[in-house]
Amino acid sequence: MKGYGMHLAPIAVRIACSAALAAAALWAGAALAAPKTIELPPDPEPLVASPLPGYAKAQGVCLACHSSEYMRYQPPNAARPYWDAMVKRMKAVFNAPIDEKDMPDIVDYLVKTYGNERPR
Amino acid sequence: MARPDPSTRRRLVLGAALAGVPFARAARAQAARTVDMPFANGHRRLVAFPEKRPLIVLTTRPPQLETPFEVFNDGLITPNDAFFVRYHNAAIPTSVDPDRHVIKVGGVAAGKPYELTMAMLRRDFKPVEIVAVNQCSGNSRALFAPRVTGGQLGNGAMGNARWVGVPLKDVLARAEPKDGAREVTFDGLDQAVFGGGDFVKSLKIEHAMGDEPIVAWQMNGADLPMLNGFPVRLVVPGYYGTYWVKHLSAIDLVDRPFEGFWMKPAYRIPDNDCACVEPGTAPSATRPIGRFTVRSFITSLKEGAQVRAGQPLVVRGIAFDGGQGIREVAYSTDAGQSWRGARLGEDLGRFSFREFTFGFTPGAGAHDLRVRAWNRSGQSQPMEPLWQPAGYMRNVVESVKVVAA
Repeated sequence: MKGYGMHLAPIAVRIACSAALAAAALWAGAALAAPKTIELPPDPEPLVASPLPGYAKAQGVCLACHSSEYMRYQPPNAARPYWDAMVKRMKAVFNAPIDEKDMPDIVDYLVKTYGNERPR
Repeated sequence: MARPDPSTRRRLVLGAALAGVPFARAARAQAARTVDMPFANGHRRLVAFPEKRPLIVLTTRPPQLETPFEVFNDGLITPNDAFFVRYHNAAIPTSVDPDRHVIKVGGVAAGKPYELTMAMLRRDFKPVEIVAVNQCSGNSRALFAPRVTGGQLGNGAMGNARWVGVPLKDVLARAEPKDGAREVTFDGLDQAVFGGGDFVKSLKIEHAMGDEPIVAWQMNGADLPMLNGFPVRLVVPGYYGTYWVKHLSAIDLVDRPFEGFWMKPAYRIPDNDCACVEPGTAPSATRPIGRFTVRSFITSLKEGAQVRAGQPLVVRGIAFDGGQGIREVAYSTDAGQSWRGARLGEDLGRFSFREFTFGFTPGAGAHDLRVRAWNRSGQSQPMEPLWQPAGYMRNVVESVKVVAA
């Protein structure tokens, strides 16, 4: 897409993208009006570390598309069916590259770290 | 609503002063800015995103930013740098050249598809101006009881702006809609990271060809901020923000109901008169969310504010609805036992925030202030909150408790 720069999630993609963006900005300097370009802030925090097996699995696939506030700010009553439905939705609707066999571990990590099974 | 923070004003000034410094330094300097929202797990950071003052961060990637509630007391128009932000997918445009931006207008029910540039948009159509509220469907979701999952917003995912654009119906007419056109779909430059779940919305053809929706390139006299849809977005007055597609890049006339993820199953409400169900239950049938319900807020006093006993006080607030216009606002200073009429302020149009004020001389002690608005077709706000599983459309009569001493 000429004339556009996009914010893409995975770090490697982001670096490649900013090079393209810089090139695009240079090119557009010759156009009639300057393009609008912004730089977005980095994620504030990683996933909460955990000895649960789902932690490492969630790290890659969840944060590929969104920051950890999506989990962090859910209400304290967010129960297992919610986390289960979300993980399934991420794969079925958003094509998140989640291995079917990893899903139970990821759900378990999420509900015990951010949901109503979190130790209090 | 954000709790009172005595140092907010000073820190806002600091934030503005930092706007010009490199991001990393600004981010570090602002890292300490936080607010505790009035609900469990409501600790939030405030960060200045590009073209924005420090706003309440719901999520960083993709950006979802909430307006600190005190902004709504500053005037009827929400400044561009304070206007809320809501994206669904993280691959959002960070650089757009408006001279090269194109909206593809077509679809199976278009007789004459064409490509619309920004220059054509400004030159070939008659522009219109409208003041209209945009409000997130899930505004105030975190205040639901019992709590519901999703974006945990206070009351700040709304804003009122003066939009300039051209009527959508004129843009559509040029594509010569066929008789079989049933709906119109809207897509923007923002994309889903792995391709699934692109954010596409639809309006019924009657709505799209009506007088209300506009294709807008200006907000409060300036270009749209990038995070509010630069260079052009859909404005659907009276309708929840989910339909206000940003970075508009494709408009398709289609011959059947569009059922992409963001129309079904997302953004659905119970298909009954109150759009509500018994708390904790699921609706038996749903429909797409539509117009705003009636809302009103006191903006000049925060929950828990200390006021002077015996001192006359002017209380100010805002009310709005889905486009009938506000007819009346009543206020109570005794937790809803008795009501009197508030004074309505300047009328910026039926889609705008409407200001109201009332005088109140508090005796010593606690006071529970409430406001309730009616629109021109007699719709109002419930005294007790309605509930629905997705946490949309909250419009209960709000309470602000103050103490006079």
